[in-house]
Amino acid sequence: MTPPAHGAEAYREAVEAALADSWRFAGLHATRAGGGAAVRALLVSAAGDIRVESVAAGAGTVPTIVDLAPAAGWDEREAHDLYGVVFDGHEPLRPLVDHDVPLDRFATTVRGPDPYQVAVGPIHAGVIESGHFRFHVVGDRILHVDARLFHKHRGIERACEGLPLAYGVSTVARACAGCWVTNAVAYAQACEELFGQRPTPEVARARTILLELERVWNTLNDIGAVCAGVGLAAGNNRFLALTDEARALNARLTGHRFLFGSVSVGGSDLGLDAHATAAARKTLARIRRDSSRAWRELLFNGSFMDRMPDIGVVDAEAVRSLGVVGPAARAAGVPEDVRAVSPRLAYEGFEVAALRRQAGDVQARLEQRALELLPCLDILDRLLVGPVRPAATEAAGPESPIGVGRVESPRGATTCVVERDGDRVGRLRLRTGSYANWPAVAYAAADNLLPDFPLINKSFELCYACVDR
Amino acid sequence: MLTLLRDLRKLRRTTALPPSDRGRSLAVRHVDCGSCNGCEHELTLASGPTVDMARFGLGVVASPRHADVLLVTGPVTTRMRDALLVAYAAMPEPRRVAALGDCALGVGVLGSDDQIVGPVESVLPVDLRIPGCPPTPDAIAAALLDLIDGG
Repeated sequence: MTPPAHGAEAYREAVEAALADSWRFAGLHATRAGGGAAVRALLVSAAGDIRVESVAAGAGTVPTIVDLAPAAGWDEREAHDLYGVVFDGHEPLRPLVDHDVPLDRFATTVRGPDPYQVAVGPIHAGVIESGHFRFHVVGDRILHVDARLFHKHRGIERACEGLPLAYGVSTVARACAGCWVTNAVAYAQACEELFGQRPTPEVARARTILLELERVWNTLNDIGAVCAGVGLAAGNNRFLALTDEARALNARLTGHRFLFGSVSVGGSDLGLDAHATAAARKTLARIRRDSSRAWRELLFNGSFMDRMPDIGVVDAEAVRSLGVVGPAARAAGVPEDVRAVSPRLAYEGFEVAALRRQAGDVQARLEQRALELLPCLDILDRLLVGPVRPAATEAAGPESPIGVGRVESPRGATTCVVERDGDRVGRLRLRTGSYANWPAVAYAAADNLLPDFPLINKSFELCYACVDR
Repeated sequence: MLTLLRDLRKLRRTTALPPSDRGRSLAVRHVDCGSCNGCEHELTLASGPTVDMARFGLGVVASPRHADVLLVTGPVTTRMRDALLVAYAAMPEPRRVAALGDCALGVGVLGSDDQIVGPVESVLPVDLRIPGCPPTPDAIAAALLDLIDGG
């Protein structure tokens, strides 16, 4: 895949034509790899095809596409803060990663006699990652919330630049413990595209097992988090215990509770004998039984379920314009899941799980997670039959200057772009499901009550770590 | 709901946790200074039903003003340094600082030098080091207990 270099006009026209042809925005980044500064926009089709539209940024200014694809808002602000690119027509181009500017440049101006501000964070009252929220409220009702994240920005992408391609995986994946496998597989896919390699069925099977093991513990954790969001200690504790059980299984299978180190570029080192896979299936069957039993208890708890409907609504139209991904998009009736279009993984016959009530509110997002846990356990039950052996990828075609990996994380589509500089990483961009969804949290909170914000936030349960990087 | 509570009680019986014989407690305030969220996930489980560190008098409190120990995770990013110092300044004395996880200890840190201040001990005096990537829930609880026992 060689990205065609456009002039300013042609770039906008190419993006506009693609969007009109039902391609969806999937990320944008600035780069200096391969000689000369450029901005690249990624688009993805319903069938999972990826195209890259590039525009030269030599003069430091490129046209914005945020009016065509509002989902590009954060990407353009990030490219401005980290690479100094100016996006002509993106007004106001507010800071995102840059914290050295006055706070009022982050926050939306709200005028009038009644609104006041509630500032929360970066340090929160619970055991939660760091980030700042500024609520503009009238009484208890939220007019608007500005999320100022990137307190945890460690410069992970920059740290990868110059590393040998095979070694970048341990750095980029460590952006986030909750999405380690997703990030690692997305990076490995991107690198294998650079090398003209593709996974064999055995490599695809091992990676799919790891991805679904990650989804199991995350889903259990996220259901527990919603219980915590309304103060239902019994539900939270039950799902915490199940999360612990799932992580203990990860440790038995791979030696690490968060599956760190289990994915590599150019193959898979995962080895499990028949005893290990049989034992894993038994544990997963127990998790299925216990979690179904606990979920039933939640469903029939009136005071719990009464908190859920009609708050934090992100409907299908908002999902499409904001570029929302993952369970949050599916809960609003947008049936998109990267697993349905993943020939590099072992998801044959995968069907996107659809709720009967696709209201896009807190209840729908919670129910979507519970619904998706069962097919996830089914996939594991199917793939864990018989031993898993180490395997290598195979040659599939010519080498490429730029590679893209795309994987469904527990929070939605994660895209990793790698541009090569010989055998090293020239530029790397990791755009996770959480990154795509954060603007939707702010959108969902507007017009709701301030005390409902923790619950709305928990219904998305996004990472800060793999957004801030 | 009764089923949930019964299941939790059964779980408690099967894990056979020993009761605490300590007459002291420790209030912990957590500050994330740029972790990968692994330490937070395991710290949350340390308060969960399987380890249940509250039975030893170990509790996570909402404010540094209520805390005996500041439990810091992550490699301390430039953007979190000031917030960390404000949280420390808000604590009553005597106060302790614990560095949780390898990043906080400055071991094998991933990231760019210009975005990271350095290990927790380069910002605050560290009294307790809890290594691991991330440390397990039992390791976190056991290390904090040492702080109670050691004074």
